[in-house]
Amino acid sequence: MEARSPADWMYRFLLFPLGQMLAFIAGSAFILTLLAYGIALLFPEPRPNIVLADQIGRQLPGMVISGITTGFVYAMIALGYTMVYGVLKFINFAHSELFMVGSVVGFEVFLVFSAQAMLLTWHPVLLVAIAVLSAGLVSGLLAVTMERVAYRPLRGAPRLVPLISAIGVSFFMVDFVRALMAITRNDFNLTYPLNGVDWARAPIPLLIGTTTVNLRPTQIIIIVGAVLMLLFLNYFVNGTKLGRGIRAVSQDMTTAGLMGINVNRIIALTFFVGGAFGGAAGALFGMNVGTVTPFVGFFPGLKAFIAAVLGGIGSVTGALLGGLTLGMIESFLNGVLVYFPVFGQRYTDIFAFAVLILILIFRPSGILGEKVDEKV
Amino acid sequence: MALLEISDLHTYYGQIHALKGITLTVGEGEIVTLVGANGAGKSTTLRTVSGIARPRTGSIRFAGRDITGMKPHDIAALGISHVPEGRRIFPLLTVQENIEIGAWNVADRKQIGKRMQEMFALFPRLRERVQQKGGTLSGGEQQMLAIARALMCDPKVLLLDEPSMGLAPVLVEGIFDIITRINQEQKTTILLVEQNALMALEVASRGYVLQSGKIVLADTAHALMHNEEVRRVYLGEN
Ligand SMILES: Nc1ncnc2c1ncn2[C@@H]1O[C@H](COP(=O)(O)OP(=O)(O)O)[C@@H](O)[C@H]1O
Ligand SMILES: [Mg+2]
Repeated sequence: MEARSPADWMYRFLLFPLGQMLAFIAGSAFILTLLAYGIALLFPEPRPNIVLADQIGRQLPGMVISGITTGFVYAMIALGYTMVYGVLKFINFAHSELFMVGSVVGFEVFLVFSAQAMLLTWHPVLLVAIAVLSAGLVSGLLAVTMERVAYRPLRGAPRLVPLISAIGVSFFMVDFVRALMAITRNDFNLTYPLNGVDWARAPIPLLIGTTTVNLRPTQIIIIVGAVLMLLFLNYFVNGTKLGRGIRAVSQDMTTAGLMGINVNRIIALTFFVGGAFGGAAGALFGMNVGTVTPFVGFFPGLKAFIAAVLGGIGSVTGALLGGLTLGMIESFLNGVLVYFPVFGQRYTDIFAFAVLILILIFRPSGILGEKVDEKV
Repeated sequence: MALLEISDLHTYYGQIHALKGITLTVGEGEIVTLVGANGAGKSTTLRTVSGIARPRTGSIRFAGRDITGMKPHDIAALGISHVPEGRRIFPLLTVQENIEIGAWNVADRKQIGKRMQEMFALFPRLRERVQQKGGTLSGGEQQMLAIARALMCDPKVLLLDEPSMGLAPVLVEGIFDIITRINQEQKTTILLVEQNALMALEVASRGYVLQSGKIVLADTAHALMHNEEVRRVYLGEN
């Protein structure tokens, strides 16, 4: 029974997680589509507003794709919150800064590519892989350092103490990167040197039904990159010995120690993996938006935290579900709110935070979360 | 020289003085039992040996080596396996994963596979449940799993904390049979903590009686079983 059949392996580590992602995307897209039509048909005069419904209908494919893109970025960041919470029951508020550092590392790597004229000669897949892996590695190591320096000495202290330490680390890192960039570049608006690079910027027209959606190549890079990394994570957590160690530590740290598991090493590993995913997400995000700053971590970090809570903090699948759902909700709101002059797109964030408040009131354990035994 | 030598151990939980100078030895191949009422300090003794509680003073020697204050995972790696009170199965890991976790420090995969088959021979029930989550097992099955998990690393000493707790009487018999078999077939030394003093003294060669963090009696199991004080206080006779 130890040796699993290849079919079983394929199912557990390929088909099942892929199916899960598809189900989450299709499910939230379906519900939101119904809602969008519902809103269009119900609200503005004349009722039902067929013209508006038709307009929104033509926007739907674009909304879904941008929702998936944002959703995967949130999901990758949310994983870091949720994994660390799983083992330590602690929210690493500085996690958003690991995302930020990843986006800055991605920028630096692309700057090197550009200076060495590799940007147009090397294969894009190779360039993206190098940038994303470097960002992941730096953020992962930074997360391990963070834990060692700022959190481990506080283990066993009242729960508010490491939380405050995390907020301190967050401010420190923002200012540190800002100072570093001010000194070395005299500017902290960091623009990826990708403008005019076709593989990154030339729109890809995609015909869906009768409408054409213009995809950004970087959206496809985010989606493919995130799917690959999430598949790897699922395999790592559920299919390897180290992953089993992480799950054991998160279920019962003391007993894990009795099994001969070096608990501190597993905690460091968890920070590394979570940080690496945050950093990789940062680089992917940076490529897509083009310009990043030392402050870029704040909103995505906060949204990803909401996503983690929405899905059920502590649950890896929950982070995926929460991230994709929140990304979709935001993208749909962006698409629909433009038709309501009173609101407008600027108010999208209000809805994201309203989601957080609603979950905390009605289902504090999140969609997939176990019952909460201790409140944070 | 005994395999496990504990001398003058004092352990505190904050202000609570839980162990007030425990001295005991366990010889190689023995089953030694530690009996006493609830709150006497039995679990704390085992927790201090395995490193999850830290003694303030005193020493623990294992195979001649001082292990006082070592980390739990280092102590486990030396060959001391602790089956904690309440079994502490990983509820969301499958039975197989729980068993594999017990072999964390065993590198040889063949060895792990062989050992796992031995465990299934000892506990056939677990074989039927390999893919089930640990948390869905019954109390008796969880106890079997906890023991199997602890045996996966082929320990020199097994620390068992109240293996009969919460089990139906039929199952209790079975667990004590297993304890005897592990001791005889695998030559594993066992330190057994029990509230069920009668059963424990039946399988043990020697015993210690613990009261409020102190050892008040130490003798052969046979002598303890016939000691009037023990019979009155711990075996529920008048
Ligand atoms: N985690 C703990 N925190 C504080 N006091 C504890 C803790 N665990 C045990 N104690 C106290 O230490 C003493 C010994 O407990 P324990 O070793 O569990 O006894 P036993 O296993 O014999 O029932 C008891 O007075 C108990 O209340
Ligand atoms: Mg006890």
